[in-house]
Amino acid sequence: MAHPEGKWAEAEIRRDDIKDLMEKTKKLATMYSDLLAMKREGWENVLKAQLKKDAKEKEKQNG
Amino acid sequence: MAEFQALQTATAEWKPHQIAKAGDIASMAKAAGDLAEVVKKTLSLASAGMEVVKLLAQLQSINPLLIALDALADEVLIAIQNIKEAGFWYLYVDPYFIKNVAAEPAFTYGFEQLRNPAGDRLWLAKDDTGNFAQTTTTPTQAQLDKQEVLPNLATPRKMIPGGFNPYEGKGVADPLASMSPFPKFSVQNVITEFTKAFDDEGDVPRYRRVGGAPKVGKVVYDKDGNSYSGWDPVKEFGLQLYDIGKDQEDGSIVKDYKAARKPINSKIAPGKPNILGSTSYVGGSGAIAIIIAAPSFDIFAETFDKFSQMFTDIPEFAATTGKGLLDSLNEIITPANTVIKLTQCDTNYGTFEAGDVIGGEIYGGVAEILEVNADSVVVSTMTTQQEVSATDDAGNIVRYVTTLNPNEDERWVDMEIVGKPIRQVDGLNPFITGDTVYEMEKRGVRTDKTANYVIRGQDTVGLPPPARVYPKVGKVSMEKLAVLPDSTPPDFGGIQIKEIIPGWGEFFQTLENFVLQLKGMISDSAAFIQDMIDMIKGIEAFLQGLIDAIVEFLEFFQITLPSTGVYALYLPNQSGGNDGIKSQLSGAGGIPDLGYAAGILFVATEGDVLIAGGGSKNPIDLLALVLGLL
Repeated sequence: MAHPEGKWAEAEIRRDDIKDLMEKTKKLATMYSDLLAMKREGWENVLKAQLKKDAKEKEKQNG
Repeated sequence: MAEFQALQTATAEWKPHQIAKAGDIASMAKAAGDLAEVVKKTLSLASAGMEVVKLLAQLQSINPLLIALDALADEVLIAIQNIKEAGFWYLYVDPYFIKNVAAEPAFTYGFEQLRNPAGDRLWLAKDDTGNFAQTTTTPTQAQLDKQEVLPNLATPRKMIPGGFNPYEGKGVADPLASMSPFPKFSVQNVITEFTKAFDDEGDVPRYRRVGGAPKVGKVVYDKDGNSYSGWDPVKEFGLQLYDIGKDQEDGSIVKDYKAARKPINSKIAPGKPNILGSTSYVGGSGAIAIIIAAPSFDIFAETFDKFSQMFTDIPEFAATTGKGLLDSLNEIITPANTVIKLTQCDTNYGTFEAGDVIGGEIYGGVAEILEVNADSVVVSTMTTQQEVSATDDAGNIVRYVTTLNPNEDERWVDMEIVGKPIRQVDGLNPFITGDTVYEMEKRGVRTDKTANYVIRGQDTVGLPPPARVYPKVGKVSMEKLAVLPDSTPPDFGGIQIKEIIPGWGEFFQTLENFVLQLKGMISDSAAFIQDMIDMIKGIEAFLQGLIDAIVEFLEFFQITLPSTGVYALYLPNQSGGNDGIKSQLSGAGGIPDLGYAAGILFVATEGDVLIAGGGSKNPIDLLALVLGLL
C-alpha cells in the first residue's frame, strides 16, 4: 500500500536505489567475466597455435 | 598489435581507486561507476580483439554480449547518477549520537522521600489522636495542602532529582513513574527542530572565492549567464558565480560562454533549501521526513542503529571514527567500568564486596561493585596528634605533642574496587575524592524499569539505635580513569559493508596493475600471451569474489527496516516553497509523541528535467520511490 501523503505513518524504509545498483553491478561483473573467459579461450588458442607453429618451424630447421 | 594498442587506449582513463571511508556507500557507488566505465571502454578492446576471436568462430556469440554489456554499463551509470546527483538537502536532528540538539532530562529536584522495601513512598498521616503515623497510602493534594499528611523525608534532608517538590504541583504523583535515566527528546521536539530550521536566517548557501578569481568590482555571471556587479573576492556570496570566460581561439568574442567560463567561487555551505541561492522561493519543493521514535531507550537505540546502517551514505552515519552509533548509544546504556579507590572503609559495618551497590553521598555517583581487588585491601594509614601533659615531682607541667595511630585495631581499611556505573536520572555522576560512599539498596523502579537506589537503612535513621540499620561506609580516595568498555560486535550490516569496500579498491588496483604490466611487455611473444591469459584469469577470479561479496551485501539490503519505530512523512512536490513544507510539516498528524526520537528531513526542489520515470521534476519523488514510500 502506498504511503499516505501529507500524513505521518509507520513505514518500512527500503534502499531500493542501492539494491538496484548492486544488482546491476553484479550482473555487469558476471557478464564481464563471461567476456573475459571467451577472450581467455581465444588467447589460449592463439598461444597453442603459436607454439605449434614454433615447433613446426623448429622441426623444419632441424631438417 | 591491435589488441595491445586497444588495451592501452582503453585503460588510459582508469584511475586508482582510493577508499576514502569504509562503509561509505558513496565510495561504493563511485567504484561501481568505475567498473561500468571500465567495461564500456574495454568493449572496444573486445572488438579489436575480434581478429583473434574470429579464429574460433566465436564472433556470433560475443557480439550480443558486447551490446548487452554496453547497455548494462549505461544502466549502472544512470543508477549512480540517481544516487549521487539527485540533489537533496537533508536536515539531521540527533540528540544522542551527533548531539546537534540538546535532550533535556525530564525531572525536577526535590527532597528525598523515604520509601518502603516495595518502593512505595512513605507518608506521615495525622491520626485521630493528632499524632503522625507512617503510611504508604498516597494522599490527595488537599490533604497535603492542609498538612494532614506530610511526606516522610529522609534525614538529613537531601535534594535529589525527582524528590518531593510541593512547588511543582506534583506532590501526589510519584516522580519515579515518569523519570528515566536517559535524556528525552520527543517526536514533537524533532518536528519543532525540522520547522525551526526553515526559519534560520543565517543558514543560507555560502560560496567562497577560489584561486584566480577576478579583482574586486569586476562584473561576474551566474550559471545562466546573467551578469552581477558588486563582486568582492573577500566576501562570501550566496550563489555560484563565473567569470566572463576567455575569447575563442579565433580571437572573436565569447561564442560558448558555458565552455569558456570558469567558476570563481565554490560552495562552502549548502544552506537551507533554495533555488539559485534564494531561500524564500515560491516554487516546487517536496520533502520526506523520517523519524525514529520509541517509548523506551533500548528499542530506540536498536532501531536507530539499523536505520543508520541503511544510510551510511549520509556523512553523519558514515563510520569514520571506528565508534559506531550503537557503540555511542550503548555507552549511554552501558557506561564503561570504573576503578575506585576507597579509604577508611569501616569494618564495623562490614566491608564492601562484589554485588554491593555503592553511592556517593554528595556527588551522587552510583555503581555496582563487580570486583574487589584482593591485593588492594590494606589497613588504612591514619595518624593524628595528641597533646600530652606531664607533671614532674616539682609540679612543673610539661606539654608535648605525640603522634598516634587511631587505627591500631585495624578497624578501617583501604580497598580498590571495580565498579559498573549506574546511570541516574541526572546522568552519570562521578565519584569525587573525599565523598562518603554508602551501601545502597533498591527502593522502587523508575519508568524504564531500572532500579531506584537509596542509602541502605535511611528509613531507620529516626528509630532507636538498636532498630537502626547501618550501611557499609567508606570514603572515595580516588577514581581512576575509565577503562574502555568491551567492544560491541557490529550488527549484521556493518561488517558486510566494511568487507565489501576494500574489495572494490583491490579490484581496481588489480586492473591497474594489469595495464602497467602489459605496458612493459613485448607484444608478440609467447610469454606475453601467457601473461595476458594469467592476468585475465586473475581478473576473472577477482570478479567472482566481487560477485560473492555483492550477494552477501544484498542480503543485508533485502531486509527492510522494521516499521515499528520508524515513521515517515512524504510531502510530494508542491508549489509553496520552504514555507509550504514548513506548514505541512507542522500540520501533519498521525504520529504519537514518543519520548525518545531522532529524525532526518530530506528536501528537494523542482528541477528542469523529468526524472523518476518521467513522472516528476522533483528528486524527492525519486527518493520516495527508492525508499519504498511510493
